[in-house]
Amino acid sequence: MDAILFLLPLAVALGAVFAIMFVVAAARGQFDDLDDPPERILRD
Amino acid sequence: MGAGAVAGGEANVGTFCCAGCEAAWEIIHGAGLERYYRERTEYAPRPGGHAGAWNAVPVADLDDGTCEARLMVDGLRCASCVWVVERVVEASPGVTQAHVSYATGRATLRWDPATTSLADLAARIGTLGYVPRALGEESRPDRGLILRLGIAAFAAMNVMLLHASIYTGWLDVMDDRYLQLFRWTSLALMTPVAIWCASPFFAGAIGGLRNGVLHMDVPIALGVVILYGHGVIATLMNHETYLDSLGMLVALLLAGRMLEQRGRRRAAEAAVSLAASVPHAARRSTDTGVETVPSSELCVGDTLEVGPGEELAADGIVVRGRGLLRRALLTGEAEPVGVEGGDHVEAGTVLVDGSVQVRVLAVGTETVLSRMASQLQDAADRSVQPTAADRIAPMFTAATLVVAALTFAGWVYFSTLNNAVAATVAVLVVACPCALALSHPLAAAAGLGAAARRGLLFRSTDALLALNDVDTVALDKTGTVTEGALAVTAAADATLRVAAGLERHSIHPIARAMVAEAALRGIPLPTATQVREIAGVGMAGVVDGVHWTLRSGGPGVVELRASGDAAASRVAGAFGVAGAFRVAGATSATGATSATGATATGTSATGTSATGTSGASATSAAGRIHLSDAVRDDARATIGALRAQGLDVVLITGDHEHAANRIAREAGIATVAAGVLPDAKADWVRRRRDAGGRVLVAGDGLNDGPALAAADVGVAMATGAASSVLVADGVISSSALAPLLAGFRSARACRTVIDGNLRRSLVYNVAAVAAAAAGFINPLIAAVLMPLSSGIVIYGAYRVEGMVQAEESG
Repeated sequence: MDAILFLLPLAVALGAVFAIMFVVAAARGQFDDLDDPPERILRD
Repeated sequence: MGAGAVAGGEANVGTFCCAGCEAAWEIIHGAGLERYYRERTEYAPRPGGHAGAWNAVPVADLDDGTCEARLMVDGLRCASCVWVVERVVEASPGVTQAHVSYATGRATLRWDPATTSLADLAARIGTLGYVPRALGEESRPDRGLILRLGIAAFAAMNVMLLHASIYTGWLDVMDDRYLQLFRWTSLALMTPVAIWCASPFFAGAIGGLRNGVLHMDVPIALGVVILYGHGVIATLMNHETYLDSLGMLVALLLAGRMLEQRGRRRAAEAAVSLAASVPHAARRSTDTGVETVPSSELCVGDTLEVGPGEELAADGIVVRGRGLLRRALLTGEAEPVGVEGGDHVEAGTVLVDGSVQVRVLAVGTETVLSRMASQLQDAADRSVQPTAADRIAPMFTAATLVVAALTFAGWVYFSTLNNAVAATVAVLVVACPCALALSHPLAAAAGLGAAARRGLLFRSTDALLALNDVDTVALDKTGTVTEGALAVTAAADATLRVAAGLERHSIHPIARAMVAEAALRGIPLPTATQVREIAGVGMAGVVDGVHWTLRSGGPGVVELRASGDAAASRVAGAFGVAGAFRVAGATSATGATSATGATATGTSATGTSATGTSGASATSAAGRIHLSDAVRDDARATIGALRAQGLDVVLITGDHEHAANRIAREAGIATVAAGVLPDAKADWVRRRRDAGGRVLVAGDGLNDGPALAAADVGVAMATGAASSVLVADGVISSSALAPLLAGFRSARACRTVIDGNLRRSLVYNVAAVAAAAAGFINPLIAAVLMPLSSGIVIYGAYRVEGMVQAEESG
């Protein structure tokens, strides 16, 4: 069970990587327009 | 798109530079006017110059040295339009990104300022045949909320996972060092959530308290502080925490807030698009002649040449000439008014006849129209009105604090201090009004969305909910109950053919109605010669060798008469410019318009037989054409449904009684307030309100403005004046009346759900607080109760659309 002492911080760190990816995506405007892209895929 | 030969193998027709030219050619060819191409001496002017200052557009300087701005693009009709604009602009040098939203008509452009400029890009879009417009909008929406929501959801889900382990660990004894690890990790994850993600609630609470208002943000902020503060102390002391509930609380509330904001933003953008319309080019006279320039290049003091059919690009004063000006965009009045030297004219108005010289007094964002549009934007950005949940927030907070104090005192008296603290914290935690705070915004967003999808955009939830109390619906006549444009109601094909032939070049509303009707019936227009307007009388000209005169035959009637053959009479027509050919009271046609004078309305006498006639036999074409402002197709059904709901529908108009009565009969309205002058409309509304009524006013004109403002709910037609859109609470975005009915249905569903949600969340809070005061609540039960109560509220909001649909289908 001692593995959890190492695995839990690792899991949280891994999660943090994805959280940072989300922050970068949002900062680049990925979520600025949530209405148009879903329709766009139908029109292309 | 692009170059393409026109089908049909026409002679002298090569390829076109763009679809716009091809469409223009088809229209000209279809109207039998190919001569234009042979006889034109030069190409039609188009705005030149690239130095135009698109100064009004806020440009964001990005970190990587590029600029970003948002434009409105008019004329996007389909997905391929979006595709073309994006590809062509992206292919221009210096452009790093071009994104066009079909839903909002907004283009977001990113470019390198060293290589190109916004004016260049705008001109580039212009050459494609689309019309770029300057907007006062920031290029990007607020990204803070979605960032906060994402981080809060991320942290909340991880903490939930950790706490699930802790709770299952209750069954089996868990090693203390694992518990400590889990608690400290949870605390680390929740720290940014409590401090940064929840900051909008702290800001709201502090702002509210500073103004002496205790709204919903206060108990929320209180809850966050207690949850987190308890979490820190409990972690240090190695006790149970409520940190999983904290994550859930913040994430849910942020999600609710974002949905609400999105709904309001969409309505605001749509309203601004409707109001901000200025032509992109103007003809400026200089020492050397007349040049066509982009309207963004105009300066105060410039002199503009405005010809018939042209739209003004700036505010100004007429210095020379006379003309007929249609101010529909500003005043909502379709009937043009005469202007002459000294009169003020505004950007966005259209000179339907005549030609004037205008000295520019205001350009760009200073024009009346732009100011209206920016006021609209401001109104949309205004802070949100207090909701029902906000109104009970003070009592709610006070009650929570009292119960918490009593709980603490009771437990200290009957039990230990430790138990007292645990019970008091439990009370404060479960009292945190998550479901209560969500109950309103979610249902509101759902209600606004349901109404917007059906063509009625509301600027605030309050306006939508106010529909529930309305007992009187006052409808303006012209442009609201009716189409607002003249249409031919009865005419023989032969008569229409000749009349429309005479009128084919006129842009007067009556002329256009006749030409449109002829096109609808498939009648090819004959060529008219010696056409002249006779000021104040009508139109004269020769068709099929017969001399015809077209003159007013009373209200709403135009009379076509043969006045001998062409050689015999030459009307010494004075070329009237202003006011030529006005049919007095054309919009207020008298009683019977049905079939009087219409001898051959049927399809039997179609174009072919009419075209074959010539000479003397053609004089049989003499007759009368009836015109009137037609009642909207959906008016009768909509008004019937409104009345079935027990609403008092009133037709309110400045027109004469018989005209109003006729429209009322056609539309199925029982009560008519005729002859109500513009100023008196607002008084009428106030009198109704003083008598205890709740009034909705729907109108489209400037003269409806005071009435719209005085009403409990004002709804403007998007096709009407920008000024009426400005003062209205809602806008009908389509050219129909049915959205009004959808608005009432959405409002009812929204109210039902909000009331139900409020009731349920209050019951939850009271029950949970009672349980907590009795010491029955522990972190696990709190972690289950909070999402459960919120889930019920979310489900309620989800039902709004279904309720509206159920009512629509029966």
